[in-house]
Amino acid sequence: MVIDLLSYSLIPMFSSLALPFFAKKNIRIAIILANVALLSGFINISYLIINSITKPDIIPIIDPLTVFLIFTIYTVALAISFFSTYYGIEKEANPISYYSLILLSVSAMTSLVMVRDLFSLYLFVEILAVCSFALITSDIKSNSIEAAIKYFFLTFPASILIILGISLVLASQKALDFEIISVSTNIMTMIGLSFVIIGFLIKSGVVPFHFWTLDVYQGASSPISAYLAGIITKIGGIYAIIKISIIMKYYPVETISSILLFTSILTILIGAFGAIAQKDMKRMLAYSSISQMGYILAGVSTFSSTGIIAAVFHLFNHATFKTVLFLNSACIEKQTGTTNMTELKGLEKKMPITSWTSIIASMSTAGIPPLSGFWSKILVIIALWQVGYIKSAIIAIIASIITLGYFVLMQRKVFFGKLAEKLTEIKEVESPLLLPVIIMSLMIILAGIYVTYIYSYLEKIM
Amino acid sequence: MNLINSTPTGIMMIPLIIPLICAILILFISEKTRYVREFFSVIVTAVSLWAAIKLFKIGGDNLELVFSWFSSHKLHFKLDYLSMFLLFSVSMFSFLISIYSISIPNKGNPKIFYFLLLLTQVASSGVVLSDNLLLMLFFWESMVIFLYIFIYISSNSQQTKSTALKTFLINGIADISMMIGIAMIYYITSTLSISEISKTKIIMTGWGTLSFFLILIGTLTKAGAFPFHTWIPQAALYSNASFMAYIPAAIDKLLGIYFLARISLHIFQINLSVQIILMIIASITIIAAVMMALIQTDYKRLLSYHAVSQTGYMILGISTLNPIGIAGGLFHMINHATYKSCLFMTAGSVERQTQINDISKLGGLFWKMPATAICFIISAAAISGIAPLNGYFSKELVYKGTLNTGYTIFFYAAEIGSVLTLASFLKLGHSVFFGKLNDNLKGTKEAPLTILLPMIALSCICIIFGFGAHLPLSKLIQPSIVSIGYIPHTELSGFHLDNLFLISITIIIFSLTLHISGFSIYGKPYKTSDHIHYAPIIKNIYQLAEKGYFDLYEIFKRIFKSLANILFKIDRFFDIVIDKIPSNISIIFSSQISYIHRGIYNYYMLAIFIFVVVYLMYLGGIKW
Repeated sequence: MVIDLLSYSLIPMFSSLALPFFAKKNIRIAIILANVALLSGFINISYLIINSITKPDIIPIIDPLTVFLIFTIYTVALAISFFSTYYGIEKEANPISYYSLILLSVSAMTSLVMVRDLFSLYLFVEILAVCSFALITSDIKSNSIEAAIKYFFLTFPASILIILGISLVLASQKALDFEIISVSTNIMTMIGLSFVIIGFLIKSGVVPFHFWTLDVYQGASSPISAYLAGIITKIGGIYAIIKISIIMKYYPVETISSILLFTSILTILIGAFGAIAQKDMKRMLAYSSISQMGYILAGVSTFSSTGIIAAVFHLFNHATFKTVLFLNSACIEKQTGTTNMTELKGLEKKMPITSWTSIIASMSTAGIPPLSGFWSKILVIIALWQVGYIKSAIIAIIASIITLGYFVLMQRKVFFGKLAEKLTEIKEVESPLLLPVIIMSLMIILAGIYVTYIYSYLEKIM
Repeated sequence: MNLINSTPTGIMMIPLIIPLICAILILFISEKTRYVREFFSVIVTAVSLWAAIKLFKIGGDNLELVFSWFSSHKLHFKLDYLSMFLLFSVSMFSFLISIYSISIPNKGNPKIFYFLLLLTQVASSGVVLSDNLLLMLFFWESMVIFLYIFIYISSNSQQTKSTALKTFLINGIADISMMIGIAMIYYITSTLSISEISKTKIIMTGWGTLSFFLILIGTLTKAGAFPFHTWIPQAALYSNASFMAYIPAAIDKLLGIYFLARISLHIFQINLSVQIILMIIASITIIAAVMMALIQTDYKRLLSYHAVSQTGYMILGISTLNPIGIAGGLFHMINHATYKSCLFMTAGSVERQTQINDISKLGGLFWKMPATAICFIISAAAISGIAPLNGYFSKELVYKGTLNTGYTIFFYAAEIGSVLTLASFLKLGHSVFFGKLNDNLKGTKEAPLTILLPMIALSCICIIFGFGAHLPLSKLIQPSIVSIGYIPHTELSGFHLDNLFLISITIIIFSLTLHISGFSIYGKPYKTSDHIHYAPIIKNIYQLAEKGYFDLYEIFKRIFKSLANILFKIDRFFDIVIDKIPSNISIIFSSQISYIHRGIYNYYMLAIFIFVVVYLMYLGGIKW
C-alpha cells in the first residue's frame, strides 16, 4: 500500500531538488513548479478519497488514515504555496529556497504518515524539523531569526527523548516495526514508547512544553505561521502520538493515558485563558492553536477508537480553520501593516470576505454547529465521557465557551465597530489571496454538513 | 351584498357592514381632496342611523342572524329592544360627531380620524348586536386599539403619547379581566349565548361571583367609573373635543352601562351584597368625581370629571334592581350622552374660536358666541337636573329607585353630587360666558355651522326628552327593560309635583348660595369653588388627589417602578456573579499567562527540562 502512495512523497521531493536548478534564471518557474506539483497531488488524493467515500466497494482504501492525512497535508500546503505566490513572499524571503523547502516539508510529512517503523518516523520528523527551521528563517526579519533559534533549541530535548526511547524499544524488541511492537507487550518497550511520547509532546507544543510555539507563530512570516500551526506541528508532533497510541492498543496504558489527559486539559485551559488578553492577533491565534492541540490530545488520551477518530478529525479541522485564520491575519497584515488588535477596528466594511471567512473559521474553532469544528469537538467530548473522564469532558465544554469568548472578542476588535480613522483607505486583498481562504471555508462548512460521510470514512482507520 | 337587502336581518347588518367597508374606502381617498372624506363619512353614518330608525319602525324584536364558526360554535347577532335602543343611540352620536368633527382642527389626520370613527361605530354596533359573548368580546376589545390611536393622533406631544399609553393599559387590563370573566362564564354554563344564559341566570356563588366581578371591572372601566376613570381627565387635557364628545362622553357610557345592565340584570342573578357593593361604587364615583370637577379650571377636564360623576348615577340606577331605578339608569345613560356630548362640543367650539381651554382666561363670551352659549346653558341645566329638562327626569327616576331599595344613604350621596354638579356648572358658565370680556377675546366670532348644528340638535334632544319625557321612556326605555325581564308597575314618565321636585328646588337654591358666597369672597368667577377647595381637611385630600394618590394607574406605576428597580438590582447581582467575576478572573489569569510567556529563552528551557523530569518520574511510578 505504501508503495502505491509513495509518489505523493517522491514527486514533491524530486521537485524540491530540481527546483533550484530550473529556477535559477526565472523565479516564476519555481512558483509554477511548486504549485503544479502540489495541485496535481491534491487533485489525485481528492479523487482517491472522494471515490473511496462514494464507491467504497470498488476502490477499497487499505490505509485510510494515511490517505486522509495526505489529503490534509496537500490541502494546507497547496493553500500556503498558492497564497505565498500572490502574497509577495519574494520581498521577505528567497523564493527558490522557500518553495523548495515547502515541497521538501510536504515530502517529509507525507513520508512521515506513511512510515511503518519507529526509526523512519524519527528520521522524517527530524527532516521536517530542519525544513521548518529553515522556513522560519527564510523571512529576513529579526523576529523570525529569534523564532527559529527558539524553535531549534527548545525542541531539541524532544529529539534526545525520542532517540532514547527508540533505543530502549530497540534494546527490548530487537526491531522497530510497528507490527512487531504492537503485539509484543514488554515493560521496557512500554518505557521506551513513553519516552517517545513525551518527546513528541514537546514537538507538538502542548503545555507545559509549549513555550516555543507562541514566539514562533508570532515571529514567523504569516504564511509560514499558517503552515506551522496548520499542519507541520500537527503531523510532526501529534500525529506521531496518535500513531503510537494506535500501536499501544494492547499495552497497559493507564499511566500514559492519565498523563496525556492531564496534559491535554492543561493545554486546553492555558491556551484558552491565554488567548483572552492578547493584543496581537497572531499571538492570540497561537494560543488558540495550543488550546486546540489540547482537544486533539484529549482525544488521543482516551486510547479508544472514538477518541482516535475524534483526534484525527479535529486534526483535519484544525488544519483547515487555523490555516484560514492565520491566512486572514496575513491578509490583514498585508493591507494594514499590523496585526495589533488595538490598532484595528471596523475592517468588516473594508474587507468583507476576509472578515466572513474569519468568522466561519473562528466559529468552527469555537464549536458552533453545523460547522465541522463542532462535530470533532463533540466527538472528543463523547470519547472522554465514554471512558469515564467526565470532569475533563466538562472542562473541555467550558473551554469551548471560552474559545467562543475570545474569538468574539477578536472579531469585535478587528472586524466590527466603527472603522478606525487611519484605516479608511484600506481595500480588500486581491482575489487570488482570497481563493484559498474561501475554498477552505467552504471545506469547513461542507465537512460540517456531510459529517456522516467523514465519520463513516474515519471509522475504518481503527 | 345578498345580506343587505330589505329584510329586517339585512337592515340589522347595515350598521355593521356599510361603515366597515366605507372605513376602508376612506383610506383610499386622496389626501389632496378637501372635505370629501368628511362628507363621505357623514353620509355613511346617516345611512346607519336610517337603518337603526328603520329597525324601530319594523319593531324587529328578537331578530336573529347566525354564523357558524368551527361548525360547532354559533355566532349570534340578535336584536332586542335594549340593543335596538343602543344601536340607535350609537348611530345618532356617530352621525352628529362626524358632522361636528368637520371643522375641528386638532383631531389629527382626518383620514385616520374618520377611519377610526367609522370603525368605532362598527365595533360598538357589534357589541350591542352580539348575542354571543365571544363575538361581543371581539368587538369590545377591538375598541381599545381605536381608543389608543384616537388619542395618539391628537398631537405630537409627549403627554399625548403617555396619555394614550395610560388609556391603552387601563382599558387593556380591564378587557383582559373581562375576557377571563367570560371564560369563566363558559366554564360555568358551557355556553356563550346571552339569550341562553339568561334563561337560567348565573347564581352568585364561587366562580359565578368571581366572574361577575371580573366582568364588572371591564364594564366599569368602559363606563369610566371610580377607580378606573383616571384616563378620562388626562385624555381631556391632551386630546381633542371631538374625541371627548364621541368616546368618553357618549359611546363608552352607552356601551359600559349597556353591558352593566346586561350582566347585572340579564346574565347574573345578583344578590344583596353585590347590589350594595355596586351602590357604594356608584356613590363614591358620584361624590369623588364631582369633588374633583369642582376645582378644575380646564374646560374639558372639568367636563371629563363630570362624565365620570354622572356614570355613578347610571350605576346607581342599574344597581337598584327595581324597574324604576333601571329605567332611570338607562334614561340617564342616553341623557348623559346627549348633554355631555353637547358640553364637550361647546368646549371644542370655544377652543376652536379662542385657542384657550383655561377658564380663568375666558369670560364674557355670551354675546360673542351666543348659539354656543345657549347650547351650553341648556345642556348644563340638563346635567344639573333642573326641571323640566331631561336630566331632571332621569335623576328623578334614579332617586326614586334608590329610595325604593330602602338605603337612603345612597340617595343623600346622589343629592350631594347634584348640589356640587350644579355649583361647578355655575362656576364654569359664569367664567366662560359671563363676567368681564377679556381684551384679547374681543375679536372672537361664533363657530361655523357644522359645529353649531350638532350642538343645537343635541340641545333640542335635551329639551324634547325633558318636556316630552314620556316619548323616550315609552318608546325606548320601557321596551328595553321589558326585554330584559323587568316590568315596571307604575307609569314612568310624567312630571310629579312631589317631594323630589321640592328637593331639586332646594338643591338649586343651595348651589346658588355656594356660588354666590364663593363669588363674593374671591371676586373671580373661576375661583368660586375655592372656599371648598381650601377648606381645612378637604384641602389635604385634594392635594393627595392632585398628586395621583387615588389613581390606580399611578399607584401601580409606582409599585412596578420599585419592583422593576429591585429586579434590576437582582439582575445586576447575577450579572456580576456570572459575567463580571468570571471574566475578570479570566482576564487576570490570562494576563498572568501572558506574563509567563514573555519570551525569555532561559526560563523556557528550564521549564521544559523540569517538566520532562516530572513527567518521566510520574511515568516511572513516582506519585504524590
